[in-house]
Amino acid sequence: MIRVALAGNPNVGKSVIFNALTGMRQKIGNWPGVTVEKKEGVYKYRDVEFHVVDLPGIYGLTAHSIDEKIARDYILKGKPDVVVDIVDASNIERNLYLTMQLMEMEANIVIALNKMDLAEQKGYKIDVRKLSKELGIPVIPTIAVKGVGIEELKNAILQASKVKREPYVRYSDGIERYIELVKSKIIENSILPNYPPKFVAIKLLEFDDEIMREAGIDGEVVEKWISSVS
Amino acid sequence: MDFVSELAVARYEKIGEIVGKCVERVEKPKTFSDIIDTVVTDKYVGIPIFLALMWAVFQFAYSVSAPFSDAIDVFFSWCGDIASGIENSYVASFLSDGFFGGWGFVLVFLPPIAFVFIALTILEQTGYLPRAAFVVDRAMTKVGLQGKSFIPMLLGFGCNIPAIMATRTMEDDVDRKITIMVNPLMSCSARLPVYVLFAGVFFKEVAGAVVTSMYLLGILLAAIMATLFRKFIFGGKPSPLLMELPPYETPTLRSVLMNAWGKTLIFLKKAATILFIGAIIMWFLTTHPWDATNGGELIENSYASMIGHAVEPIVKPFGLDWTAGVALVGGFMAKEIVVGTLGMIYGVGEEGVADVIPQHFTPASALALMAITLIYVPCLATIGILRQELGSWKWTAFVVAYELVLAYVVAGIIYGIAVGLGVA
Repeated sequence: MIRVALAGNPNVGKSVIFNALTGMRQKIGNWPGVTVEKKEGVYKYRDVEFHVVDLPGIYGLTAHSIDEKIARDYILKGKPDVVVDIVDASNIERNLYLTMQLMEMEANIVIALNKMDLAEQKGYKIDVRKLSKELGIPVIPTIAVKGVGIEELKNAILQASKVKREPYVRYSDGIERYIELVKSKIIENSILPNYPPKFVAIKLLEFDDEIMREAGIDGEVVEKWISSVS
Repeated sequence: MDFVSELAVARYEKIGEIVGKCVERVEKPKTFSDIIDTVVTDKYVGIPIFLALMWAVFQFAYSVSAPFSDAIDVFFSWCGDIASGIENSYVASFLSDGFFGGWGFVLVFLPPIAFVFIALTILEQTGYLPRAAFVVDRAMTKVGLQGKSFIPMLLGFGCNIPAIMATRTMEDDVDRKITIMVNPLMSCSARLPVYVLFAGVFFKEVAGAVVTSMYLLGILLAAIMATLFRKFIFGGKPSPLLMELPPYETPTLRSVLMNAWGKTLIFLKKAATILFIGAIIMWFLTTHPWDATNGGELIENSYASMIGHAVEPIVKPFGLDWTAGVALVGGFMAKEIVVGTLGMIYGVGEEGVADVIPQHFTPASALALMAITLIYVPCLATIGILRQELGSWKWTAFVVAYELVLAYVVAGIIYGIAVGLGVA
């Protein structure tokens, strides 16, 4: 059984893709402890069973809103085999912001580049192959409302489940210096060893309450770590 | 160094770099979406357009659904008539007044509710609702709410239950709490039959305006209470609204119907349980003790009458008598029950109520009853959902308490003004 999570901004056609993948075989419940709807479903592709969880629609992965926290916790702790990141092609810049954060989490991502028709109408010409190469992530163009690209997406999910990829994102040198520094401290002190160290480093730099609490580290420690850079 | 914004900048830099390599943008003339947006989100015409659309939604829902409601009403009256012919008078009364009468008055509300959901789903799926939130954000912020409070408030006109559940999209906990707490003041469709009945009887030519003013009163009170809660209980400021405006899209029939059906199902479940049980309880209370009421004939001797007389002193200042008392007690369960209960008490069924109520109400007391129905305790199901979403009995009790007090005060003021103006 391959476990797949669907992530994406609100209004990108996430539930259309969820329905297209799972058909009628779905179950609606609540995320544990909170009253946010949780949709789950299963499908079979080439004799492999896939279990799909539809994460709440989110713009980022901070711990500020319940929805973002649910999505983040699920990816970090539930460790799904594949995360399908649904990106609205007609609004690609804003949508890739979440993609960057998913990459920081080293999730095994497949991008469904949805609403390709709308993007074209808006005058965007997207070189899908190049985008895939730049990101280091498989990118499948889709028009979910018309069912275009769903088979290809299923295939890409299957392939991704076989070869676990850990995407790597490198930001500008200015900020990477800090990330690297904190990362080395994290590895040195084996802080939250179950999470990707780069992700923990970024979250500590962002003074993320949740991660700081889990790591048992406060802002002062982080400040001290990075003081040597400046 | 502020790493939250530094990292955001770094991410966008990276995105810009990638998009620059892979995406070409051909300048196209303004899209249809852009043109619509310049109009509907305009500072001046945005709000009038929004109000007109809302009016159209309700107009559409109620006019299209009327024949369906009539058909349902006719069907259950017919069933009731047949059942009343049964030999055993106890069974006949139970079946015709309790069982079929109960289902009838519950299900007549199904068509208007289903059509409101359909209309709102269409607005939602075309992409207009986020614009509406944007348009009203400024006004919302003034009263201590936020643009995102708007959709839950709007849904409150249909039913407060899905409305309160819709607050889950709000990030800020205080914004969300305030939105939940004032939501029951948005006049849900269950209260409409009460307005329609009383406005129709007492304010014939201006009935529409009276009904609309009840909705406006609800909105006004919600604004006042939200301001007070923000100022005296929670403090702080509404969080700024950050929202994308998705491009307009043509909704598909299938997704509109599926979505609206899902919401209607929530109502149906409530109808099948609380409303129906409520109707049976009201039948029991109005016909028992069976011997004393002579099989439901002498309502004055029933339990309902006893309850009504016990409540009467409370509502007497507004010119209301025991019959209104019983109806309001019934309304605790669900506000739909108010009209049905009056029908049972007067022994005339839903249709005949209009002829009888002038004997029990004056125009001024009718206004007071409408206001009380609008404001006092949210129905049982809403209390349940308040508890679930506020996560505490304390806050839930607070909502019920403030609404009871507010209902009393506002009804008093309205009755006083109406009498003063000589409406009575």
